[in-house]
Amino acid sequence: MTFSINRRGFMAGGASLLALSGMGVPAFAEDARLRLIWWGSQPRADRTNKVSDLYKTKNPGVSITGEFLGWGDYWPRLATQVAGKNAPDVIQMDYRYIVEYAGRGALAPLESYMPSKLNLDDFDQAQVEGGSVNGHLYGVSLGANSAATVLNTTVFQESGIDLPTQATTWDEFGKMAAELTKAGKRRGMFGTADGSGNEPLFENYLRQRGKALYTADGKIAFGVEEASEWFDMWNKFRESGACVPADVQALDKNDIDTNTVTLGKSAAGYAHSNQFVAYQQMNKDKLALTNYMRVAKDSKGGHYRKPSMFFSVSAQSKVLDQAVDYVNFFVKNPDAAALLDVERGIPESKAMRDVVATKLDAVGKIPLEYVGGLGDLAGKLPPPPPSGAGEATDVLRNISEQVGFAQLTPADGGKQLVDEITRILARG
Amino acid sequence: MNNAMRTTADGAVTVERYQGAVADSRFRRLWNANAPGYLFLLPWLVGFFGLTLGPALISLYLSFTDFDMLRSPGWVGTANYVRIATADPKFAAAMKVTLTYVIFSVPFKLTFALLVAMALNRGIRGLPVYRAIFYLPSLLGGSVAIAVLWRQLFAGDGLVNAALAQIGIQGPSWISHPSYSIYTLVALSVWQFGSPMIIFLAGLRQIPQDMYEAASLDGASKFRQFYKITLPLLTPVIFFNAVVQTIDAFKAFTPAFIISGGTGGPINSTLFYTLYLYQEAFGNFRMGYASALAWILVVIIAIFTAFSFLSSRYWVHYDD
Repeated sequence: MTFSINRRGFMAGGASLLALSGMGVPAFAEDARLRLIWWGSQPRADRTNKVSDLYKTKNPGVSITGEFLGWGDYWPRLATQVAGKNAPDVIQMDYRYIVEYAGRGALAPLESYMPSKLNLDDFDQAQVEGGSVNGHLYGVSLGANSAATVLNTTVFQESGIDLPTQATTWDEFGKMAAELTKAGKRRGMFGTADGSGNEPLFENYLRQRGKALYTADGKIAFGVEEASEWFDMWNKFRESGACVPADVQALDKNDIDTNTVTLGKSAAGYAHSNQFVAYQQMNKDKLALTNYMRVAKDSKGGHYRKPSMFFSVSAQSKVLDQAVDYVNFFVKNPDAAALLDVERGIPESKAMRDVVATKLDAVGKIPLEYVGGLGDLAGKLPPPPPSGAGEATDVLRNISEQVGFAQLTPADGGKQLVDEITRILARG
Repeated sequence: MNNAMRTTADGAVTVERYQGAVADSRFRRLWNANAPGYLFLLPWLVGFFGLTLGPALISLYLSFTDFDMLRSPGWVGTANYVRIATADPKFAAAMKVTLTYVIFSVPFKLTFALLVAMALNRGIRGLPVYRAIFYLPSLLGGSVAIAVLWRQLFAGDGLVNAALAQIGIQGPSWISHPSYSIYTLVALSVWQFGSPMIIFLAGLRQIPQDMYEAASLDGASKFRQFYKITLPLLTPVIFFNAVVQTIDAFKAFTPAFIISGGTGGPINSTLFYTLYLYQEAFGNFRMGYASALAWILVVIIAIFTAFSFLSSRYWVHYDD
């Protein structure tokens, strides 16, 4: 026996299928399907999924699918999804990209939901402001952090050198680092990483000198003089053996695994406070956090508390209200806060901070205390970087390498840096 | 088409006029005869039109726009191409890196693959096992493990320098030094010699043994046999491998991406053309500009391939 179906039968079957699927719509109309996307590792995914599960038990009928990728793969994926009109409803956003996405209309403004549906009243208001572009709120900060120096205290101790303090200047630190290298307690280990191509470190240096990377209207906010002196300082560190040579620094891919501290090439490195727990996990020696060094004894305000990441809501979302409600739950629910801990940075809500603080272990407390104890080292949050800032970061790294490998003098490096960044910002 | 020209036996050209119904039934007969074939081709056809030709044509259109992935594209004419040709130092840098890579990796890889294939072609026992082992590196391709392995080998305190230290040479950190990093990628490419090796091996098997027997009876040395028999008879295979590997080398992306962490550094020394294209498209939101870069690469590869085919008539011997 053979099974056959004539054209009429096929049409009839197809039509009834269509009708069935049509009927399905009203029955499930109240259900919402939320899609989330974030970057990060498996532990972050576990925490996030647990919060989603908790949300689902409190909101029956809502289904949530989460997707996560590494930092490098995340941005191409997100851009492709947004371009394909297939953006997830809730998007983890970074300070560097929020202007790009908000400016191109990809994110939904959220201020109209405040304060009834999105209550950020006990947030540090400067941090709320950090998620704003052109007067609209496009991102809710998931945690605060600050740039920080990671120190291998074990090596400092072995070498008989005191740890730098909040008062240590770059000049003093350069001498300490050179001594540590000379002490030679660990083979192939230098005092410090070469931070000349590290943007947060350079920004901190500029801010202490009363400058900045960018002005509020997206222009370059430093000059050839500062940039040249910056490269010159690191050239001297390189000559004195304080910092690692250029070909060692070039192994650093700007992540925790390849940082010179993790690779055992330097006793000091430059990172962000929320990465500390991960750093300590990868290092057998005891690590500590301290601030970036002072330019002069009395210079201050280089650091700032920075929203480490945001949740934004896609402008394409068909379930805007539900997405906003989820974000609010994520940053304001005590059970969610307990699950999330300080993994995404220190919670912005005071109530949540108190929930988390009672639960932290010794290693977890270090970043909390570090950010809390910055004092006069911390200044105002700079405006979000303009379009093209990502490219400018690459240019800083590139030119710092050219100076490091002695292909450019510090003076020429400074001039070229200012020229190229000016050109990139003009192109947008 | 209803008119068909026909040449009759006496050379006069006549025009027959088919009736519509006849043509129709003829088309139907053709369709009936070939439909299963098309049906089986369907997955490939869908893939070709939907995933290759369609996107390619769209990217051609986008290359004349300022598409940023988030807003709708705006027409900018040839501005992208003009910028690439006149005002983009990174384009020149990327082109130089890619050409260096092609020029070094292809000949070395082919030579190495041929040597290994010849070693394996001497009727040794357990050939399938060796073949599989030698093919293994090609399968590892662009995994993160390779990035770690290469760092272990070519970093300042890596294995290569440990070996060099034995003979009193202190090497730099090859992988992160702007003067040498590209050659560690060439080495990676040579190491992944599996697929040309398999093809060479198949080619060597095609060469009749009696030629070698005749040659050795005449007293030809091994080298002379290689030079006068193996190499000429293998030229079609060499040609095929050379074309495929050259195109592959132009398109290489993963090695530089994983080893430099996507930066193309240090100092753009591993900024492959495709990596630059990727940075522009996905890092800097310039999809229109990246599309123009992609089409320039297409043209460059086409020129290289055409040149290979033109030159082939002077050095490739087909024994027919």
